[in-house]
Amino acid sequence: MNLLKSEFLKLAYQRRTWGLFAAAIFLSVLATALTPWALSRMKNAVVMPLTLTSSVDGVYSKSLGAYILALVLGIVIMSSEFQHHTAIATFLAAPKRLSVLGAKLITAAIWGAVLNVVATGLGMVSGAIALSMYKDAAKPDSYIFVDYIASAALTGAVLALVGLAIGTLIRNQNAAVSVGLVFFLVVDRILGLVWTEGGKYLPSGLITSMMQLHIDVNIKSTGLRINTADYLDPLPAAALMFGYGIAFALISLITLSRDID
Amino acid sequence: MISIEFKGLVKRYKDLTAVDGLNASIESGRITGFLGPNGAGKSTALRCLLGLAAATDGEALIEGKPYSHLTTPLAKVGAVLDSSGFNGALTGAQNLKVICAASGLNPNRIPELLELVELGQAANKRTKGYSLGMKQRLSLAAALLGDPDILVLDEPANGLDPVGIAWLRQFLRTQADAGKTVLVSSHQLAEMQHTVDDVIIINHGKLIAAGPIGDVTRNPADPSGAAQSLEDAFMRLIGVSK
Repeated sequence: MNLLKSEFLKLAYQRRTWGLFAAAIFLSVLATALTPWALSRMKNAVVMPLTLTSSVDGVYSKSLGAYILALVLGIVIMSSEFQHHTAIATFLAAPKRLSVLGAKLITAAIWGAVLNVVATGLGMVSGAIALSMYKDAAKPDSYIFVDYIASAALTGAVLALVGLAIGTLIRNQNAAVSVGLVFFLVVDRILGLVWTEGGKYLPSGLITSMMQLHIDVNIKSTGLRINTADYLDPLPAAALMFGYGIAFALISLITLSRDID
Repeated sequence: MISIEFKGLVKRYKDLTAVDGLNASIESGRITGFLGPNGAGKSTALRCLLGLAAATDGEALIEGKPYSHLTTPLAKVGAVLDSSGFNGALTGAQNLKVICAASGLNPNRIPELLELVELGQAANKRTKGYSLGMKQRLSLAAALLGDPDILVLDEPANGLDPVGIAWLRQFLRTQADAGKTVLVSSHQLAEMQHTVDDVIIINHGKLIAAGPIGDVTRNPADPSGAAQSLEDAFMRLIGVSK
C-alpha cells in the first residue's frame, strides 16, 4: 500500500502526467467531434451516411483513438526512474524489488485505464454534441457506450502495462517512447496489412475486436483490403490483450536481477 | 558495537573486478572515512551494502542482515549516493513526500529537515532548478527522513561551499556523538582528516588499510612515530609518491 501511494504521488505531482491526459482528451475529442463533419463533407458519403446507426457507432468509436497515450504513460512511469536516477531512492526506500515492480504494474494499469476512460468518455460527449447538429443522424446502438468505456478501460490498462515493460527494457526514455510509438503506429499497422491472417491477433486488431466493429474498408486505389469480419469476438480479444499485458509484465521482471545505477 | 560489515565482498563486472574480497567492519558512534582513488571500488562496495548491486561473492551486512532484509530500511539506514537522484519535475518537498510514502514514514518531519539542511526557502521549487549543493543538501534531508541509526554517505561534500562543508562536518560529529554510525566516502582528504575517527582505505577493490586515523597515518619509516597528514599517509599506502 505504501508503494502504491508513492507511485500515485509520483504521477500526480508531475505536469507531464496531466499533459498526457490533456493530449489524450484533445485527440479523442477532436477525432470524435470532427468525424461527423468530415463524413458530411465527403462527396461519396453514401459509404457511411450519418443516417445509418453503424455510421454513428463508428463516429463514437473514434473516441477510443487516444489509447496510444496510455502506452506512453506506462513507458514514462518506468523510464523516468532511470532518467532521473530516482530508481536509487525508490529501491533504498523499498529494497524488495518484486514489491516495487508490483506497485508499478498496478499503478500503470489503473492510470492507463483512467486516462483512456476519461479521454473516451469526453470524446463520446463531444461526439454527441457534434452529432446533435445533424438532425437526420441516426441514434447509436445503446450498448456501445458501455462497451466502449469497458474497452477503453481494458485497452488503457493493458497498453500501460506494455509501456511499463518497454520502459523497463529500454532505459532511455526517448528511445523507449520512440520504439513504443513506432511499433504500435507503424509496425503493427503494416503487419496487419501484410499478414492478414494474423492481423486479428495484433494489438490494433484486438482493440478493433473489443470495439465490436465489423467494418469493411475497401481501398480500391491500392487494392489493400482489411476485413475485420473474422476478427476475434470481444471477450477472447480482451483475454488475449490481457495476456499480452501479463507477458510484458513478466518481461519487466528482468529488472529484478539488474544492478541499479 | 559493529554496525556494518563487509565479509569477503567481491563484485565483478565481466572482466573487471571492482571489489576484490573486501573485509572491514564499521563501529557505531564513530565517523569512518571510506577512502580510495577514483575507481577503487568505494561506490560499488556501498551499492552492494545498500542492495543496489548484487555481490558476486561474499556479503555486506547491516547489523548482521543484508539491507533487503531490514523491515523499515530508511529508519535504520540513511544514504546519500547520488545527488541527481531526484525527479526534476517535482519540488524538493514533493520528492521527500514520495520517499516517505514508499517507506511508510511520516512526512511530518519534512519541513523540519528542509530547514535543517537550509532548504526551507526552496522547499517548493522544482529540483531541476537546484544547484549541485542544494541537491546534495536535499539528499542529506532524504537520508534523515527515518531518523536512522546509520548514515552511509558517498561524497556528501560534493558541491557544498566552505560554509556548507563546515556545517556538514559539525553535523556528522553531532550524529556520531549521539551514538550513530557514520560511514562517509570522500576524495577530500584534508577535510576528512578533520572529520573522521576511523578510516578504511581501498585500492583496486582491495583493502589497503583500516583502523583509527591515528594508527593509519602513523609513518612506520619515521622513528619518532609521528603521524603524517592523511593525504601523505594515503599516498604512501596506495604506493604513489608525491
